[in-house]
This record gives sequence, structure tokens and C-alpha cells, in this order.
Amino acid sequence: MSQFHGFKQDMPPPGGYEAIKYKRNLPVRGVGGAVVFSAVTAICAFGFWRVGAGNVEKRELKREQAWSRINLVPLLLAEQDRDAYRRQQAALAREKEIMKDYPGWEAGKSTYNSSRYTPSTIVVL
Amino acid sequence: MASHRPAVLTDQPYTDPNPLPSSVPHVDELGVTSAPLKSASFFIGQHCKEVNEDFMLCKQENRDPAHCLSEGRKVTRCAADVIGKIKESCLEEFNSHWQCLEKNNQYFQACRKPEKALNQCKLSKTIPGSPEGQPQIHEKSSPIFTRVQK
Repeated sequence: MSQFHGFKQDMPPPGGYEAIKYKRNLPVRGVGGAVVFSAVTAICAFGFWRVGAGNVEKRELKREQAWSRINLVPLLLAEQDRDAYRRQQAALAREKEIMKDYPGWEAGKSTYNSSRYTPSTIVVL
Repeated sequence: MASHRPAVLTDQPYTDPNPLPSSVPHVDELGVTSAPLKSASFFIGQHCKEVNEDFMLCKQENRDPAHCLSEGRKVTRCAADVIGKIKESCLEEFNSHWQCLEKNNQYFQACRKPEKALNQCKLSKTIPGSPEGQPQIHEKSSPIFTRVQK
């Protein structure tokens, strides 16, 4: 027909016009507030429970450590005492040897008027 | 004043070379370093409880080192005996445990596996004062504090 009239009729594109977007475009953004809130609460609760359990465990670890040391105190002290006694006796012998010409000198006499044991404040170097 | 010493500076601390007087019976020192001692500490504490307590009560009487020498010798002999026994029967477990302690800053919690083997070999370890009715810290199946680096 158009070849007869010398013009072309303006027509919609083949397949028709696309639909007019008149609806708001609001996609669903993840889970709802209640779910998020309860999930956070659950995670926090688990964390606090674990902190508590960890504190209890730390206390027990400290107890273990303390008793391990308590068990070793006597033998370390005994060894140390033998060495201290050895040095004490050596110091006494030295003092006797040095002060042998001074009558009335009591070697190894404490500077304190007390029967309580007072460790020597003089370190031999 | 220290005229009895050679005029030589050393980086070693001064040790008195004088021997223990012969009136004191000789006892071999343990000569054990810290990690094996820590590994054996609960065995020593449980086997030598009476001797240890006796020594500590003696020390409470008088702090003079000369006062408790005989009790101290008993303590050292008992500890040496315990360590000898451990080495006799559980040398492998003992070695692996104290070497683990050595490598892990001497934290017990880092070495539960070798410790379990050692405890099974030697004796049941009990920590005084731990809460009743629940597994002790070294028996816990899934502890929170373990090694820092896995």
C-alpha cells in the first residue's frame, strides 16, 4: 500500500512497546530485623559464655601452676640451704683465721641481740 | 679489700670453692633443669609429701640453713629417687613431656598430650583444691586454653 501513496505509516515496533515501569524498585534486602537481632544476641551469649568458661579454666591453670611450684619449693630450698651453709662455714673459717691474733673476738657472732636467724648482710666478693 | 681473689675480672659470678664440712653427710644434688623438674613436680609432690612437709615445718621452726640440713637431705634423696624411678619406667614419656614444656614456655596447657601419656605411665595426678565433681584441668577433654600457635 505504501508504495502507492509515497509515505510510510509510523507503527509501533515489532512485538509492541515495552511495559511502563510505574512500580517502585525496592528489592528485598536480606533477613528481617528480628532475625538479625536474635542472631547477634545468640552470638554475644555464646561469646560471654566462653569468656566465663575461659576464666574458670584460667583459674584452674593458675592453681596447677601454683601447686607445681609449691611441690618444688622444699627440694630447691634444701639445695640452697646446703650451699648457704657451706658458704657460711667457709666465711666463719676465714674470719677465724683473720682474727686469730685478737683475743676476745667471737667469730661468727651476730650483730643482732636476737636468737632469731638473721642472714648475713655482707656478701663475699 | 678482697685480697684473697686473683685480680682477674671474669663474667662468671663468684663461687666459693670451699667444700661442705665433712660433718655433713654427702648427698648428690639433683642436677635437673627447670623443665624436667616442672614435668616431675606433681610426682615429687605426691611421692615425697611427708618428707617435704617435714622439711617445711622444720624451716618454719627456724630459718637457719644449718637447722634443717638432715631433713633437707631426705628431701633431696626422695626427689632423686622419684626422678630415677620415672626415668626407669617412663623415660620416653618423660622426655617427650619435658621437651614439650621446654619448647612451649613451660606451659602445662600446651603439653597435654605428652602429659597424658606420662600420667598414664606413672600415677594419677591430683591438684589439691580443684573443684569437686568436674574433671581436673589436665583431664579436660576440650580445653579453651591450649597452645598459642596451633
